[in-house]
Amino acid sequence: MSGSKPDILWSPHHTDRYVICDSELGLYRIGPVGSAENKVGALLLSDETAATLLAINSDTPYMKCVAWYPKQEPECLLAVGQANGRVVLTSLGQSHSSKSKELLGKEFVPKHARQCNTLAWNPVDSNWLAAGLDKHRADFSVLIWDISSKFSPEASVVTEKNRLPSGDIDSGMVVTKPLYELGQNDACLSLCWLPRDQKLLLAGMHRNLAIFDLRNTSQKTFVNTKAIQGVTVDPHFPDRVASFFEGQVAIWDLRKFEKPVLTLNEQPKPLTKVAWCPTRTGLLATLTRDTNIIRLYDMQHTPTPIGDETEPTIIERSVQPSDSLIGSFAWHPTTQNRMVVVSAANRAMTDFTVFERISLAWSSTTSLMWACGRHLYECAEEGGGSWEGAVEKDIATKMRQRAQSQYGHDTVQVWMNHMLAGGDDPQLKSLWFTLHFMKQYAEDMEQKQQSSKQVLVYSGIKNIVKSSSGTTENRRCWSGSERQANVLWFHSEERSLALRLCGWISQGPDIDVEPFLRSLEGDGEWERAAAVALFNLDIRRAIQILNHGASSEKGDINLNVVAMALSGYTDEKSSLWREMCSSLRLQLHNPYLVVMFAFLTSEPGAYDGVLYESSVAVTDRVAFACMFLNDTQLPRYMDKLTNEMKEAGNLEGILLTGLTKDGVDLMERYVDRTGDVQTASFCMLKGSPGEVVKDPRVQCWIENYRNLLDAWRFWHKRAEFDIHRSKLDPSSKPLAQVFVSCNFCGKSISYSCSAVPHQGRGFSQYGVSGSPTKSKVTSCPGCRKPLPRCALCLMNMGTPVSNCPDTRHGTGTSDEKVDLTRNNKLSHFNNWFTWCHNCRHGGHAGHMLSWFSDHAECPVSACTCKCMQLDTTGNLVPSDSL
Amino acid sequence: MDLHILDHRLRVTSICKNGLVDFTHPLIKLIFLRNRTRCKFFSLTETPENYTVVLDEEGFKELQPSEHLQVEGSVWLPLNVVSNGNASSSSQAVGVTKIAKSVIAPLAQQHVSVFMLSTYQTDFILVREKDLDVVIHTLEEEFTIYREVGGECSAVLSQEVHNGFQKNGKEAHQLTVHPVLIPLNHFCVMSLDPDTLPAIATTLIDVLFYSNSPKEGTLPSQDQDCIKFFSFSLIDGYVSLVMDTEAQIRFPADLLFTSSSGELWRMVRIGGQPLGFDECGIVAQISQPLADSDISAYYISTFSFDHALVPEEDIESVTAMLQQKRNEPAC
Repeated sequence: MSGSKPDILWSPHHTDRYVICDSELGLYRIGPVGSAENKVGALLLSDETAATLLAINSDTPYMKCVAWYPKQEPECLLAVGQANGRVVLTSLGQSHSSKSKELLGKEFVPKHARQCNTLAWNPVDSNWLAAGLDKHRADFSVLIWDISSKFSPEASVVTEKNRLPSGDIDSGMVVTKPLYELGQNDACLSLCWLPRDQKLLLAGMHRNLAIFDLRNTSQKTFVNTKAIQGVTVDPHFPDRVASFFEGQVAIWDLRKFEKPVLTLNEQPKPLTKVAWCPTRTGLLATLTRDTNIIRLYDMQHTPTPIGDETEPTIIERSVQPSDSLIGSFAWHPTTQNRMVVVSAANRAMTDFTVFERISLAWSSTTSLMWACGRHLYECAEEGGGSWEGAVEKDIATKMRQRAQSQYGHDTVQVWMNHMLAGGDDPQLKSLWFTLHFMKQYAEDMEQKQQSSKQVLVYSGIKNIVKSSSGTTENRRCWSGSERQANVLWFHSEERSLALRLCGWISQGPDIDVEPFLRSLEGDGEWERAAAVALFNLDIRRAIQILNHGASSEKGDINLNVVAMALSGYTDEKSSLWREMCSSLRLQLHNPYLVVMFAFLTSEPGAYDGVLYESSVAVTDRVAFACMFLNDTQLPRYMDKLTNEMKEAGNLEGILLTGLTKDGVDLMERYVDRTGDVQTASFCMLKGSPGEVVKDPRVQCWIENYRNLLDAWRFWHKRAEFDIHRSKLDPSSKPLAQVFVSCNFCGKSISYSCSAVPHQGRGFSQYGVSGSPTKSKVTSCPGCRKPLPRCALCLMNMGTPVSNCPDTRHGTGTSDEKVDLTRNNKLSHFNNWFTWCHNCRHGGHAGHMLSWFSDHAECPVSACTCKCMQLDTTGNLVPSDSL
Repeated sequence: MDLHILDHRLRVTSICKNGLVDFTHPLIKLIFLRNRTRCKFFSLTETPENYTVVLDEEGFKELQPSEHLQVEGSVWLPLNVVSNGNASSSSQAVGVTKIAKSVIAPLAQQHVSVFMLSTYQTDFILVREKDLDVVIHTLEEEFTIYREVGGECSAVLSQEVHNGFQKNGKEAHQLTVHPVLIPLNHFCVMSLDPDTLPAIATTLIDVLFYSNSPKEGTLPSQDQDCIKFFSFSLIDGYVSLVMDTEAQIRFPADLLFTSSSGELWRMVRIGGQPLGFDECGIVAQISQPLADSDISAYYISTFSFDHALVPEEDIESVTAMLQQKRNEPAC
């Protein structure tokens, strides 16, 4: 503080007042900008706050340190330590209380003059003021003054010897007899009272930290260290103390005072101030010389299961309150993380709030939560039917709903899955139809035992048409007219397979699109139906469809106009019709109407207007290409389109890629874009060649989807998925992990497990024995000794659970037992055998479930195992209960 | 009580009066430009004979060899007694007196030569580096000995030096009784905030370097009874000044720190001939009787003579005591 270096002190009781001390003391009041009292002479501290200078005190020269009286009254009493060791009580502003009059101007003078380094008021007994002084060979360096003491008689009896002029002492106000004298022949650089006891004083002495106990002044606890400056107690942990030396901060635990619990990274410049944040636990702010940043250390003790030996995690941050070099700073006593900073040079002040780090977490169900300071914010997706459609739902919500509606599980009518998914996503629709057609075809081929084609169908149209051979080309006639159409029409077996996969034609050798047209009409897709009809060179049917469309309820009346235009088709190259159609078609809104006219007006073999109309479904474009592109054009187009689809991650492209590596690439793009691992998992599981499923990306999607189901507590869904998966991908069946062996003979009691060890999924996986053996199920198949008893019903395992004891007793259990088929007995979950892996007690799953629904401890008497608490998920309820 | 062996390696030098002009630059740098030098231990004492400069090796580099510069050959280590807070404060006597019995007398018995340097803040006992083993061995019973290295204290364990240990010469050494001189000046021991050093720079330079220039108003008679003595030290950032009242009045009163009682001191100069550095027991023969009478003292050794400062009210008894010693048959 000598000379230019300023310091700031907040008033202990007025949260809007602070004092800046450099060569003089200045009292400021901080308030919002523009409030009436702040208008004149207000200094802007931030966008919202300004400070007004209330009073200045320049009575005390050679100030070295200042401490604010901690009690409410007198409110603005300051103790100032001077360069010559004197401590003066002074004040800012007017105070009329008699107590303050009595105290003001009082001086406390040490026997031997030397610099006063630090001052500390006792927080409990506010009459006690500790002063830390520099070294003197014969004097004490820690003096505790009682400010209420009357001036000592010694001072008034000035000896008449030849004395040095000792300044203008107003002897009436001078106290020379301290209450306590500590630290002889030592220097004291910093002081603070310990909150543990009002008589404990921690002092940073020359080369050591010492705790003085005023109850027994001859004793002191001390530790040798260099870090002796700026001792300060953490207001939130009374045993945690920070001190510093040059660039290094040491954190001490007074309970283990031998060495610092940690030292913070050394900073290149010497530190000038270290302060704990009073409003936030474990936050320490440090300031070095000649810098414009304040470095913050966030020390959080996180209890670890290994014990408390671990050091606390420290997060280091820097904040820059303003551009100028910082002279000093002070935390606001009550407002969270707020501080006022004063610049080193011109006493410019900044009101600054340290922004709290934000930690953020997604829940597994779309909501988002973040914590900032003492606030916790949750952001949830807006639910409710009325909002649906306004914003697209989050994929997690969609996947959750789809999981609940059994999406992906329809293995017979595969296309139905898109309806289960909500039926509103064209890409999913295309995907599931493609998979449906692939499966259909594969099944057909299976019947015909043409397994090679079965594989081919899953490799996508791109590969199918590449393998094409024996393409025939012919000029087709417009049906219903004798006119020769001016188009070449290609046909081959592979091309018709492609058409079938596109859904245009169904099973059979004929190219008959009529059923497809009818289904499209039925769906009200008039334009598309008309286009398909036209591409099949049935212009009359097309016109007819359009007329239907125009007359139907939802159809567009303008379709009639389109029909009229269509009916005027002429293949005259230079006709007006052709000219107008080719230019005006672009103004049509419906892409299918556009491509219809594009088809009619284009040159033979040059159908770019159709093929590259991206609004037209990929299936239709591919089918079109298969009909009208020759063997050189077609693969080129397929490649181009495939790349386009892969680039976009468009699921319609699965038609082209099939479930190949290309397909996985495409799906990867789709997952990257949407996050829909659910569709990806189900889709790739359909792949007949196992290689696709083995792709690590696919495995990753599947595992993530399973984790997602677990996170949603959709355990039944997860199990269903696992079952579904193991059907489609037998390699995913997990190996048996648990075997139950007989206590007597040591053999596995699970017959099937021992016989076929690696297929024992199901029961054995969950540690439940039971298998259809010929032996009696209540006894070991090996030695025929009885199985263990259920801890609750005391029956041997294998006997069925009696769910309703009342009725059982009435009607006789034996009858019912007979009624139950063996299969029923074993598969019924309640009959499964389960046990605690810790205490090894167990019994029927049903009994255990009901026992642990209201007990935490093992049902076996004298066993104190807290079985249920060992199971971290045991207390969670599945959210998809069947 | 703790004894700290401080982390300074010191040289004791002397600049003769007429050679001072060659050294004013390094001296001013060492005194006033603390930030420009890495010297942590600097003491300059002016006596009528010469200027004694005690400084660490960093400071010693600043002094150019010259015919006017005499250097004592050894490296000296400063020892410092820390009372550790447990010492009873019953004895009001301070300074050399306090450590006379515990440090100085045992070292004298072991024939270890000491060089004393008292300051406002503390007393430094300088011993030769080669004597350190003897010192540790001698004092380890009384003290916990710490050695400061790089700012960290570490306890010095007793080295088993029995075989290599030799007592410095004969024990029952005949002590020479040196003549003493008691000038009439009153001295004061003061300190100063190092930040205010610039404020007194001109006065300090004047007092230090121009003391021989004739001043108006000085009475020639004073020269016979008073001696010129001025000491300035800047050690680990602490300033200590010893000067007579004559010099003191030239400084601004509010900048210098001293005791609130404003005590004054009288000097006892020991030695008629330059004492040299090898004779031991000189400090002991003065401090021992002072300790017996519980009289406070400062003790400042210089290149040629030793100086003890005692409270002015005790000078009568000290004089009598020294006189009595002189008359005693040497034992």
